[in-house]
Amino acid sequence: MRHIFAQGAFLIAMALATQASAQCYADYKAKQDNPLRLQYGLIELPASACGSVDAATRYAAPVIARSGWTLLQIESFLTQDQFDARSANAGAIHLRR
Amino acid sequence: MPGPSISAAELTRHGSRALMLGIAGIVAVLALTAVLLFLNLPDANAFNARVERVFVENADLTTGAEIKLLEILAQSGTAFSETLVSYRIVIFVLLIFATGLLVTSLFMVVTLVVLNRRLATVEKQGLQVSALLIDRATNTVGINDMEFRLTPAAVETLAVLAEARLDDDMLTGAAIESVISGRAEAECDEAAGATRIKRLRDSLGNQLISEVLVKNVARQGYMLAIDARVIDLR
Repeated sequence: MRHIFAQGAFLIAMALATQASAQCYADYKAKQDNPLRLQYGLIELPASACGSVDAATRYAAPVIARSGWTLLQIESFLTQDQFDARSANAGAIHLRR
Repeated sequence: MPGPSISAAELTRHGSRALMLGIAGIVAVLALTAVLLFLNLPDANAFNARVERVFVENADLTTGAEIKLLEILAQSGTAFSETLVSYRIVIFVLLIFATGLLVTSLFMVVTLVVLNRRLATVEKQGLQVSALLIDRATNTVGINDMEFRLTPAAVETLAVLAEARLDDDMLTGAAIESVISGRAEAECDEAAGATRIKRLRDSLGNQLISEVLVKNVARQGYMLAIDARVIDLR
């Protein structure tokens, strides 16, 4: 009986862990006006925003706006590897704390 | 002479209506041009928007150097658009000048036409009365710039005629006599009024002719006061 409980707890913990690690990355383009400045950046998204570009835009726009930039568009969703590869080019990287 | 003076006034009225229409037309056309000018010239943000679109539409414009280049492009576009704004102001000022010049020239042309027609009328008419001043106190009558002294009776007759003209009335000889003598019209004689008119014509006509046609130069003699070239003897 205890064994079964332990197994269940492990499964739940695993599920939570996968949930937590189900976040994704996206690259975006943003701008500032007067004078016009452009930015290519990376952003870490929560799982809820990984489904569609719309959801990602809804999440990302206020995050990027907080640093004074206007989101132009979300380019694509990235895996961890793609994220690492592109982080050298990025003008800004927004990670979730 | 009511006829010619009315036609002169009509000329002026036609002229001023043409002038109003012409000025309205010129101002409307140039205002439309100004509006189109301001609508069609790109504003300062057009270049930024274009650069922004290039940035968004090309997925591989991601490196720092490329982005820097795009920003420089946008800045030079903005600088160019500032010169465009100054051009626009220069063009607008020129448009205003053009409006002023066109309005002035139209005014001149209409004035010339009206003046020419009026001059032609005056030349044919010989004497056109543009001002008639009757002064009962000194028994003088001013016609244009000429002043004539009349008898009190003649001035009274002229004043009666002038008042009737102001009311657009016609007076019979009896009516004139009745107004001047103060009696009822039925008691007045037609001939009495006709005599008053005749005296007025004699006195005023005599002085008018001596003023505008047969001049009397003191102690030298008489002379026709006209240009010798217009005389044609057959």
